[in-house]
Amino acid sequence: MPWPPYLSIVTPHHTGLMPTGDELSAFIQAVAAHGDRQAFAALFKHFAPRVKAYLIRLGSSEGIAEDLAQETLISVWRKASTYDPAHAGASTWIFTIARNLRVDHFRRKTHALVVEADECDDEQMPDTAPEPDEELSLRQREHHVREAMKQLSAEQVQILRLSFFEEHPHAQIAQELGIPLGTVKSRVRLAVTHLRRLLGALEP
Amino acid sequence: MIRHHPDDALLLAHAAGNLPAGAAILVESHLEACPECCERLHVLRTVGGVLLEDIAPVAMRPDALTRALAAIDGGPSSDAPAATALPAAAPSRPELPAGTLWPKALNGCTVSPWRWLGPGMRWSRVTVPHDKAANVFLLRIAAGRNLPMHSHSELELTQVLYGEFGDERAQYRPGDFDGVDDEIHHEPRVRPGSECICLTSVQGRVLFKGVIARTVGALVGI
Repeated sequence: MPWPPYLSIVTPHHTGLMPTGDELSAFIQAVAAHGDRQAFAALFKHFAPRVKAYLIRLGSSEGIAEDLAQETLISVWRKASTYDPAHAGASTWIFTIARNLRVDHFRRKTHALVVEADECDDEQMPDTAPEPDEELSLRQREHHVREAMKQLSAEQVQILRLSFFEEHPHAQIAQELGIPLGTVKSRVRLAVTHLRRLLGALEP
Repeated sequence: MIRHHPDDALLLAHAAGNLPAGAAILVESHLEACPECCERLHVLRTVGGVLLEDIAPVAMRPDALTRALAAIDGGPSSDAPAATALPAAAPSRPELPAGTLWPKALNGCTVSPWRWLGPGMRWSRVTVPHDKAANVFLLRIAAGRNLPMHSHSELELTQVLYGEFGDERAQYRPGDFDGVDDEIHHEPRVRPGSECICLTSVQGRVLFKGVIARTVGALVGI
């Protein structure tokens, strides 16, 4: 059921500009609160082409990437009420949905649907509810991770990028960095350790 | 208190959705029990989110949004009923000691009855429906026993469900995770006084030393 435009939080002067993380997060909450279609359209416009690109990078055909990007954004609509802005940024939440759909898709090819539950659901983790001051830093997590990644060496950023965007990341990392396959794992660990240390300085 | 966790390389591969089914089940079974690793995973997922934000977009087809809105109007989700459409019959599983819970990561898997593997050693095959090649099993080793000395051609992952074992490196208790690769030869020994139950996933072959040990390996099919 469409809602009258005045209920929408999407204001016209956003068109053409990259929405900020806070805006994207507000769009998801507007979808959850009152099925805001304009907010959904803004999320779709921003994320669907990115999810599609992500899936193509991981070896999906154009057609499958288009379908899974569709499915991802439809899941965003349906799961919007489970989105907790205090816990995750919009990009992180939508990345995780896309990642799960991709994994499920390739499992489904060989077997009946397996529903992937999130092993780190808050309901399973009674003692992980963030403290109020922790909440602030969790909301800024995407910003902090982005800042920390700027301080990594180009090579370490490349290691992280290949880890997410390659079907066989270790082989690709070995090739692009010109290092033996046997040392890839320790390089990956070093990159993550470095990232954590930088993040620790941003999130005291 | 959990002392042993999956390493960053493994957790990153999981965050990226790049683990084979068997390894993913092992990491998930650990995450269920470990808020600390959930927090580590969350940081890595955030890296995924940041990278997604920065990726060069690929245009959707012109009617993509219209089709998405039509699907939304098409009524309740197609995926919601699927969640309840899983086989309703409670799966029969071998018994665990009182108070020990089955990891949720095994939902949908078939778990065979305990089978004899050797003196004081039993095992149970976990069949992963979406990946027949996944080599996942439970080991139930009596108090004070040791597993034959072995190493691995690729990767062996273990989550302790009950009891305690140790090897040359450390002691492993319920909730602990152990990942050993081809660099490690080990001879895990179960603590005297209590049996030990572990969930294990193996990629590649386990290389046992000695004829008897190799026969045991052949039985389990690892």
